[in-house]
Amino acid sequence: MSEQITPYQVPPKTPLAGSAAAEIREQGEISRRNFPVVLTTAWFALAAALGGLGAILGRFLFPNVLFEPVSKFKAGLPADYSVGEVDERWKEKFGIWVVRNEEIMYALITVCTHLGCTPNWLAAQNKFKCPCHGSGYYRTGVNFEGPAPRPLERAKIYIDTSDGQIVIDKGKQFHQERGEWTDPESFLKT
Amino acid sequence: MTFIKDFVDVLSGSSISFLLLTSLFSFLIFFNLLDGRLRSKGGSVFIGFGLLFLISGIFIRPLLYLAIAYLVLMFLLANLGPRVWETRTGLIILVAGGGAFGLSMLDPQFYLIAAKPDNVPIVAMIFLLGFFTWVALRKAYLNDRQLLAGGIPWEKTESDEKLFTCPDLVYTEMLCMIVLTIVMIVWSMALRAPLEEAANPTSSPNPAKAPWYFLGLQEMLVYFDPWLAGVLLPTLIIVGLMAIPYIDTNPRGNGYYSFRERKWELGIFLYGFLVLWSFLIITGTFLRGPNWNFFGPYEYWDPNKLVPLVNIDLSELIWVKALGVALPKIWLIREMFGILFCLAYLGLPPLLAVGPFRRFYQKMGPPRYYVGTFLFLIMMALPIKMVLRWLFNLKYIVHIQEIFFNV
Amino acid sequence: MSRLKQLQQGAVNSQIWKSVFRVGIPNTNRKRVLAVLGSLILHLHPVKVRRSGVRMSYTWCMGGTSFFLFLVETVTGLLLMFYYRPTIEYAFTDIMDLREQAPFGIMREMHRWGAHAMVIAVWLHMFRVFMTGSYKPPREFNWNVGVILLVLTLLLSFTGYLLPWDQLAIWAITVGSNMARASPGAGTEGPMSGLIKLGDIRLIHAGDDARFALLGAKTVGPSTLLRFYVLHCVAIPLGAGFLMAIHFWRVRKDGGISGPL
Repeated sequence: MSEQITPYQVPPKTPLAGSAAAEIREQGEISRRNFPVVLTTAWFALAAALGGLGAILGRFLFPNVLFEPVSKFKAGLPADYSVGEVDERWKEKFGIWVVRNEEIMYALITVCTHLGCTPNWLAAQNKFKCPCHGSGYYRTGVNFEGPAPRPLERAKIYIDTSDGQIVIDKGKQFHQERGEWTDPESFLKT
Repeated sequence: MTFIKDFVDVLSGSSISFLLLTSLFSFLIFFNLLDGRLRSKGGSVFIGFGLLFLISGIFIRPLLYLAIAYLVLMFLLANLGPRVWETRTGLIILVAGGGAFGLSMLDPQFYLIAAKPDNVPIVAMIFLLGFFTWVALRKAYLNDRQLLAGGIPWEKTESDEKLFTCPDLVYTEMLCMIVLTIVMIVWSMALRAPLEEAANPTSSPNPAKAPWYFLGLQEMLVYFDPWLAGVLLPTLIIVGLMAIPYIDTNPRGNGYYSFRERKWELGIFLYGFLVLWSFLIITGTFLRGPNWNFFGPYEYWDPNKLVPLVNIDLSELIWVKALGVALPKIWLIREMFGILFCLAYLGLPPLLAVGPFRRFYQKMGPPRYYVGTFLFLIMMALPIKMVLRWLFNLKYIVHIQEIFFNV
Repeated sequence: MSRLKQLQQGAVNSQIWKSVFRVGIPNTNRKRVLAVLGSLILHLHPVKVRRSGVRMSYTWCMGGTSFFLFLVETVTGLLLMFYYRPTIEYAFTDIMDLREQAPFGIMREMHRWGAHAMVIAVWLHMFRVFMTGSYKPPREFNWNVGVILLVLTLLLSFTGYLLPWDQLAIWAITVGSNMARASPGAGTEGPMSGLIKLGDIRLIHAGDDARFALLGAKTVGPSTLLRFYVLHCVAIPLGAGFLMAIHFWRVRKDGGISGPL
């Protein structure tokens, strides 16, 4: 045990020369005049950082990829639908009514524009009637009674040229109140 | 018996009972709980309502029924006076209410709806609300009598007396827990939790109802668009509730039951809580059937009931019906009247501040006064829109479809 | 001095008993004080309370009832979680099995009725607090906490409504969540939302509006079930628990169960 040991000592109160604390001392404290500016900047920086964090967390709720069932389907030949009828064969599976009249065919999406219930087609009264809050729509999909604020939406409809079948694409909707029902993709001429 | 059922069915037309309750509460504010006599001002308001119903009743039958019910109630209240708050009267009311309910359960249609497992808690809630409202007002009446005689409220006689938490409070709590546990177990064994068919996104049940505590909001949806009834108004309800302690600066009535010292606060709160919230929930639960149509308590829920819904916008009412011209193309001009009406309605506070509400304005100071009256006006917008709907089939006051802004 | 009494004495004086309950039977005032102070659960209360605060006719016991029902919901909910899988393949059948296959199969009943009862109890609690003017100073803040707790109670019940995945559930949630679609400026159908555009493209659409955040999809579907499950079982109860702690703390700090000043 020949090594010398340095006994531990209570460190002196004043900062040693060359230490970080001493440097700050030398640079001087934040002046009285600067203090409010520094403080405000610091608070703004904190608020901005928290806001950014909040935005990132909020963004987390919206996934980049959505796994949804296919919204595009083949709906047979135009001849399968008779004139003047509201066809309900795709309602269960795809949520679509196909309506055919003398001039055109169109596909209505079976979602009430009020609060998203599924209306029923009442053939006897010639209207779509929503069971939730009593909204009523004409065969054209235009609302006429109850709380619905706007007509039903049409889905994109076109003929597949390879086999002559109707294709209905729910991925694109047409709103009457935006004047989109004149769009050639929103109906089929027959 | 059939006559009574018809009477009740017609009377419970939501518009009707709503008016009944509305007027009843406007009356309660003026009603002097202490001596049971009608105050001159309140009395005339009250009698005015009765006369109005009576005269309209000559033309519209339901209103005649309403007038009868209203006058009977007025007569009872005016004559019973403070005896309403006696335990004996309370028991009689309870027995009468329970009896009426029991008798009604004999009716198959009533039974079908009232005994639905999910509706049982709401039946219980009706009785609990009635009971506790009565209890609170009774205690308020007893305290008011003391205060008027120069005494102190009952709670104050005991407030300096302190008990040990252990055992007094701890044992009360334990007893409550045991009773509640028993209630929960018995209830759970007696009634199955409802489970319907598996979810099917392509067919809506008829009627499709929100959970019962949101049925007041769903009822509001009949009168307002979702952005108002589903988003803005609920937000304002919450904000309004939270604002209460900051708007109400009345230092009296803190920590004891009292009515005289807080007439306006209690009147407005009771109106909002009992009529606009609870009563609408009860309406939505028991009186709204298939297609969200209105059905009286004994009426068969016919899914094919035809109710013509031909509601009309204010713009159409004025431009087409009254002025006989076509609707203007530009929405600002088309909706001019509606927008003016809304602005005038929300512009009422400053006018009221120099008019009938001067007293409140001076007592509360501008910030409290304006926030308070704004919230109050928003609250009253619901019954106002309801009345407009029943009277004129009015759909929207402002209808700007271009930006989905419908009021 | 019967045998029973001896046995009781022996138990109370044993080291095990004394290590748990420091005070023994609270038969003197000193011990009554210490019994409350020395117990984590009892010390939610003050040592002494106003006489009127103990009376059921004054408090209706509704605050305590709400809290107790919250505990009932926690326990029964925990038990339900052992059997329930929040996916659309299993949710409905798991609920069926809970009734048919689980022993003492009333846990779901208790959970559901308890939820209804809790909503009613919270309302009546608010009603009582208003009627006694107990929201007035110094209790303004606690009233606000209470209002938020009321909202959380409703949200708890609402999110739980979807989980059985039956017709009642999805349509109630469809109707309820579609209201979010109408939020001004934040939902596709809301007023002003159509005005938020970048050139010709609407920035607020069914894929990014307020309802989407709630449902995790454009319609009520598998991701909605999962989101509601997590909100129902974890997020909202945690928030409610935190606020309840504040609520109870403030009841004491603001002068105990309310009474006349």
